[in-house]
Order: sequence, then C-alpha cells, then structure tokens
Amino acid sequence: MIGQITAQVRSSLRVLRTGYRKDSRLGKLGFSLALGLTLLVSLLPFYVMLLTSLTPDGQIYSNTPSLLPNTITFSQYTVLFGSETFAFGAYFLNSAIVATVTASFSLVVGVVGAYSFTRLEFPGNGLVRRGVVVVYMLSSITVIVPLFQLIATLGIVDTRLSLFITYTVSTLPLTLYMLWNYFESLPIEIEEAALLDGYSRVETIYQVVVPLSLPILVAAFLFAFKIAWNEYIFASVFLKSQAKLTLPIGIEQMNANFQNVWGQVMAASFLTTLPIVVMFLYLEQYMVEGLTAGGVEG
Amino acid sequence: MAGLERYFESPAQRRETLLGIALILPSVVLISGVVLYPIVYNVYLSFTTVPLNPNQAPTWVGLSNYVDLVTSPRFWQAFRTTLVFTVGSTVLSTLVGLGVALLFDREFRGRRLARGLVLLPHVTPIIAVAFVWQFMLSPLWGTIPNILAEWGLYSAEAGLLSRRSTALPTVIVFSAWRNFPFAFLLFVARLQAIPESMYEAARIDGAGAVAQFKDITLPELKGTIAIVVLLRFIWEFNAFAQVWLLTKQVLTLPIFAYQTAFANFEQGLGAAISLLLFVVQAMFVVGFVTLFGEDKV
Repeated sequence: MIGQITAQVRSSLRVLRTGYRKDSRLGKLGFSLALGLTLLVSLLPFYVMLLTSLTPDGQIYSNTPSLLPNTITFSQYTVLFGSETFAFGAYFLNSAIVATVTASFSLVVGVVGAYSFTRLEFPGNGLVRRGVVVVYMLSSITVIVPLFQLIATLGIVDTRLSLFITYTVSTLPLTLYMLWNYFESLPIEIEEAALLDGYSRVETIYQVVVPLSLPILVAAFLFAFKIAWNEYIFASVFLKSQAKLTLPIGIEQMNANFQNVWGQVMAASFLTTLPIVVMFLYLEQYMVEGLTAGGVEG
Repeated sequence: MAGLERYFESPAQRRETLLGIALILPSVVLISGVVLYPIVYNVYLSFTTVPLNPNQAPTWVGLSNYVDLVTSPRFWQAFRTTLVFTVGSTVLSTLVGLGVALLFDREFRGRRLARGLVLLPHVTPIIAVAFVWQFMLSPLWGTIPNILAEWGLYSAEAGLLSRRSTALPTVIVFSAWRNFPFAFLLFVARLQAIPESMYEAARIDGAGAVAQFKDITLPELKGTIAIVVLLRFIWEFNAFAQVWLLTKQVLTLPIFAYQTAFANFEQGLGAAISLLLFVVQAMFVVGFVTLFGEDKV
C-alpha cells in the first residue's frame, strides 16, 4: 500500500519536474512538422504586423504582396509620432494612465478584500466569495446600457473617472481570486507571531502579508493592467473627445478615418502589443491561475 | 438569525468580524454599484423607451420592446448567427487546444519558449490582432488571399470579410485562433498531472497509442473538457469586440444590442436584448456551478 503510494508520488513528481512523458505516439518528423505548423499559425499575424510596419508605403500597396522583407524603413513609426494627423502619442499616454491607475486601485481594494476572505470570519464570507466568481463570468455587454445611463446621470461621460471605476470593477474579481488563492497558501503562524508581537491586523497586512506576497502582487497588477490596456467596449461608449481616447479606440479611428494607412495602423498595433508581450514574459508562470479564474475577453 | 451570534460572542471576535466586513466592503460596494445594480436597472430599462436627453426619465412601454424583438426577423437572424458562431468557435478552439496540448505533452528542446509563443494570440490586445487579420485577409493588399490565389485555391475578387457568407466562417476561425491557447493551457496543465505509471501499465498490457488516448487520456481530461467548453460557450455567446473589430458583416446578438443602443439610440430596446443575453448567460453559469460544485467556484 505505502509502496504503491510512494511509487505513484515519485512518478508524478518526475512528470512534474521534467514536464514530459516519453512516448513514440508520433514519429520525430511528424512531431516537428506539427509543432512547426502550430507556431507558424500562432505567430504569422505578429510577423505580418511587424513586417508591414517596417515596409514603405509603395511596397505595401504593390500588386505582389510578399512575406519577405524587401526594404526596411522606420518611416511608418516617424509618421505615427511626428505628424499632426495621428494623435498616437496621446492615445498611448491615455492608455498607460488608465491602465496604471486601474491596476493600482484594483490591487489596493483586492489586497484588503482577499485578506478578509482568507483570514477573517464574517457573516456572508462564502456567499460574497462565490458572488465574485460568478460576476467574473459575466460580460460587459450585459451591463453596458444601464451603465451608460448611470454614467450619464452622474455626469461623468467622457471622463477618465468613468474608465477608472468600470475597469477597476472589471479587474477586481480576478485580482481577488488570485490573491486569496495565494494568501491561503501562506503559513498562518507567521501572522500569529506578528499579532502576538503586538502588531494590529492592518499592520500585519502591510508589514507581513504584502512583503511575503510580492510576486503574486506584481502578477495581479500586470493582469489588471493588461485587461485595462486591451479593453474596448466601455471606452468606445464612454469616451467622446479625441484627447481622451485610449489605444483601442484611437487605432480604430485611425483606421476608419483614413484610407490606406495600413503601415501606420500596423506600427500602432505593434507598439500596443509590445508592452503586453514584455509583461507576459513575467506573467507566463501565472497564466494557468489567471486564465482559470476567467479567460477574460479583451 | 441565531447563527450570527457566534461572530459577536467576545469583544475580540466582534472586532475581527467588523474588520472583516470593513475590509471586504470596498469590493462589495464597487461590484454592487457597477455590476449588480446595473443588472437590476437593466430589467427596468428594457420595459421603457429611453429619451436621448439623460435628464428626462424613461417612459414605461410595457412589453413593447420584447414584442418588437420576437416579431423582428433581424433578431432571429442574429440569434441564429450567434448560435452558429458560438458553437463553431467553442468546438474549434477546444479541439485545436486539445490537439496542441497533446503535442506539448512530451519533452523537446525549447518547450518552455514554444509554450509561451503559442499563448501570444490570446494575450495580445484584440485591436492589434483584429486589424492585422483584416490586413492579411484584405483582397487587395493581403498576403493570404494572394498566396491562395497563386496556388489557384481562391479568386481574390471579394474579400473573405466583406461577404456575409464567408465572413461568419472567417470570424469563427479568427475566434478559434485567438482562444485556442486558453483551452491549450488548461489541457496541458491537466495532462501533466496524469501519472506516467498509468501509461506504463497500459503499455505493458499492450495498449497502442489510440487505446491509451481513449482509455486513459480522454477519461482523465473529461472534467477539464467540460469546464473549457462551458466557459468558452459563455464567453463566445457574449463576445463583442472580437467580432465587431474584425468585420461589420456578422450580426450577433451582442453586436445587435450595441448597435441598437448606441448607433440607433434605442436604449430601451438595447436593454431588452442584453437582458436576454444575460438570461442565457445566467443559465450557463448556474449549469457550471451545479456541474462542478461550489468548490470549483
């Protein structure tokens, strides 16, 4: 019995450690072909995006589109930042502000909320917790009409505040979920020791729990940042003036208002993608957690 | 409420309970204000006509919005399109995700990097990938139609995205491309948890690759498959930006609601459509909770 269990544990540990199992279900060649095809399909659009953003207009609109680089130019990028026509710099800044503020709000509200879920008993704890997960499955489209009415009544149409509030709430369920899962794994003894030393609960949160949770706090912040950075529907309804547009709406308008600006649109798309890819290098190890909580649209 | 007393028995306990409530309060207030209250308000709005001026109150019109909807062929057309889109992209993204996960369930050089790259379609901003797909598929400048035309597989006269008949399948393919990494990641995590000894035992019994897949892998994955299909179904049914930004030729219910409310400014009617969407969504969420129990939630 014991032997069986240890054998079982050992074999799963081996799989976990090496992350593979040996098999010959597919020949080596077949495997390489399948993997190559998967990567090609996944990455081709990103390649086209980068390539087009580096191609001079004359070649983009030639009759023989090609997947190989010919002449490389940075003119699409200089036009994007240099000309009066495109307010790309402003869109980028707006998105950065909105995403940073939102992710910070979400983190502060999330830390205390998740701590309350995991360490404090209060009536309705379980109910609120389940409610948070259910709310996360809902989509923006179900609340967009009443929310717009509400925003209009409050007189905050076309303000960043409208985005701060709605984005904080869109990101909050994921932040709460990631943090409470992590807090549950922290040994309670450390906090008890702190409490015995005369720390108050609130001091314990900021001087013991937060420092112990830094990696997951960064991950939660970045996930929230990504959701806000990618968000389209709220921004498209709440924002009106050019100066306040975020990247998704700004790029859409570039595309809609001008003919044949694919070079600039691709350059803008690439610059919008870049921060997310950089963050993703850090986030990858948290992806399973972040995704199972909800594969957030956006 | 006798049960409540245990939270307030001693002063220390009372303090803990009050602190617990105080700390969760910001989350509860925010979620109630931005999600729960709007859902309730939406029910009211769906029975009204909303004037353009936000200072005027909506006028009660009873069931008239709903009557308009069920008698409108456009609504039923959008409903059918939504179903085809939802089923199509759920099935396709789950199957591709499963296939790629099986492919990754072994050791090879650069596995970690490759796994990260495969996830990119899912995490990058929708605006960027929707536009690059539009560009790639454009009949004039796009590389894909051009290559297909060179091979004689396609005549690049009308764009795939500009004709209604080809736009829907294209949006389904785009959705599957964007969302298969979600299924892939959940499957790959689950596959790694299947003990190698099960496969060893099966091999000793002489089971081939197909038998191993059918008798070990598939039963072990059953729960994950159900979760993936259900979650994808809920989200695809309500998908907005991934369809809207790729083509204006596919009218699903979320797009119908958005256009009705914010292009035609018939917000009462828009509220009625989104309420119907919410009901369908709620049914699936309840299904999710009953199927997987509250622990999973």
